[in-house]
Amino acid sequence: MTELQWLTASEIGAAYAPRRLSPVELVQALLREIEARNPDCGAFIRVDAEGALETARRAEADIFAGRSLGPLHGIPLGVKDNIDIAGVPTTCHSKILLDNIARNDAPAIANLRAAGAIMLGKQSLHEFAFGGPSKELPFPFARHPWNTDYHPGGSSSGSGVALAAGFVPLSLGTDAGGSIRNPAGNCGVVGLKPTYDLVSRRGVFPVAFTLDHVGPMARSVADVALFLDGLVGSHTERSFGADLERGVRGLRIGFVRQWHETDMVADPEVMAALDEVERVLRQDGAEVRTIALPRLQELAAVQRIILLAETWAVHAKWLRERPQDYSTPCRRKVMPGAFLSAGDYVQAQQWRGRMIDAVDDAFRDVDVLLTASGMDPPFRIDDGPGLAKTYPRQGRSPFNLTGHPAIAMQSGISKTSGLPLSVQFVGRAYDEVTLLRVAAAYERVTQWRHRRPPAMYRGGAQRERITVTA
Amino acid sequence: MAGQSSTLDPDTLAKARAAGLDKALAAFPDCVADAARAAALDLADVPAIDGTTEPWPSMRIRSGR
Repeated sequence: MTELQWLTASEIGAAYAPRRLSPVELVQALLREIEARNPDCGAFIRVDAEGALETARRAEADIFAGRSLGPLHGIPLGVKDNIDIAGVPTTCHSKILLDNIARNDAPAIANLRAAGAIMLGKQSLHEFAFGGPSKELPFPFARHPWNTDYHPGGSSSGSGVALAAGFVPLSLGTDAGGSIRNPAGNCGVVGLKPTYDLVSRRGVFPVAFTLDHVGPMARSVADVALFLDGLVGSHTERSFGADLERGVRGLRIGFVRQWHETDMVADPEVMAALDEVERVLRQDGAEVRTIALPRLQELAAVQRIILLAETWAVHAKWLRERPQDYSTPCRRKVMPGAFLSAGDYVQAQQWRGRMIDAVDDAFRDVDVLLTASGMDPPFRIDDGPGLAKTYPRQGRSPFNLTGHPAIAMQSGISKTSGLPLSVQFVGRAYDEVTLLRVAAAYERVTQWRHRRPPAMYRGGAQRERITVTA
Repeated sequence: MAGQSSTLDPDTLAKARAAGLDKALAAFPDCVADAARAAALDLADVPAIDGTTEPWPSMRIRSGR
């Protein structure tokens, strides 16, 4: 059997049924792993060992008595610390909310509890899912588990790292401009931003009201699908994983080359990996055609104006009264909204309508889009200019603007850093089934998901010498 | 406070004060200046639009419950 820490949720469920594995045994193994390795990579900022073991004992009794609640019953998961779990602080990785104890579970969490999932703890993020990494924060920031000198991406950093480090099979993240997909791609796991509002945003500390999404992260596409079923809850008519085995024959894929070839010229390794994705999909039977979308810089700028204006609405009071309690990167990133006018916001929203129409028009001719996720491989944590490129040089934020579902996953390995490269697929609104079908077909052919870090935690011993650029 | 704030251009300073960022101006004038520059750069990338034309931002009526 695979080592327990690397089992997917699907494999865990399959092992529970014939009693080859127990929830308690699994949770104990993961807790040992977290205790031993989390200090190196900072994925978790709070672990609820006692609560997780108690839930695991109950799950074990029920599952072994034949009272299974479904595929998530007894599956441990981690939760980004901007999502409410009743009785636990939701800190958003900030000094400002250290004592912010959640009164209720967020509805997404309530759905997961109802499905029998086990909450293992809260995961690190960029401060307020916005500014990071920084050493000014109350908890350590997350580091790439394949090489801790590198940035794992954000803002759901701990959620991506926890999967890649083998701490959990599932992580719950949030995404207002790519925050699920960036760490998923960088860490070689799978992250889905579902269609806007498919998963409830209540009980999640907002980044930007009309851009925020809650979504699943996992080590396989099949796990993302069953996790999404659980997040949406009992009103799901059909499993989001219904078509995972159908392959891509007969599907039309629109390759948005212009974004990474002319709008923002991508790193050659990223470009080559995207060409290889195209080749794999064609070989597997898809029809791939090049299509054009609005210029990436314009989409990104409109998203940014809306993001900054809405973020200002959230943070204005604290920025006025206690600016010293933000870390430097977060303060810099949340303040620009003060310099935007009401007219700027309204006109950005008008542009947004046109851009949604443009992406919807593209879906008249194709079933799924293929685009770059990040334009660059992961950067070192001490590479300030590199890190500064992470957020503007990407193709993820346009789909926060338009609300279409988008998934990021590994597309190769960088020869320079040895770390994962990533690709993004995008689907029609509410058509996660087809989107996941394409991602699953690509995953099946390439098998990137079975790659493990060649030398786990390489570089960790030197981490105190790294200077973090604020 | 006046010394630190005076390194900012008058327009930025006026907008920052209007937004109530006096504490930030005193303690973190560089952050304020960076924020103003970042907003201007993003605005420069947004194409012009006639505000009188559709689509309007959406509005949904609710029951009031």
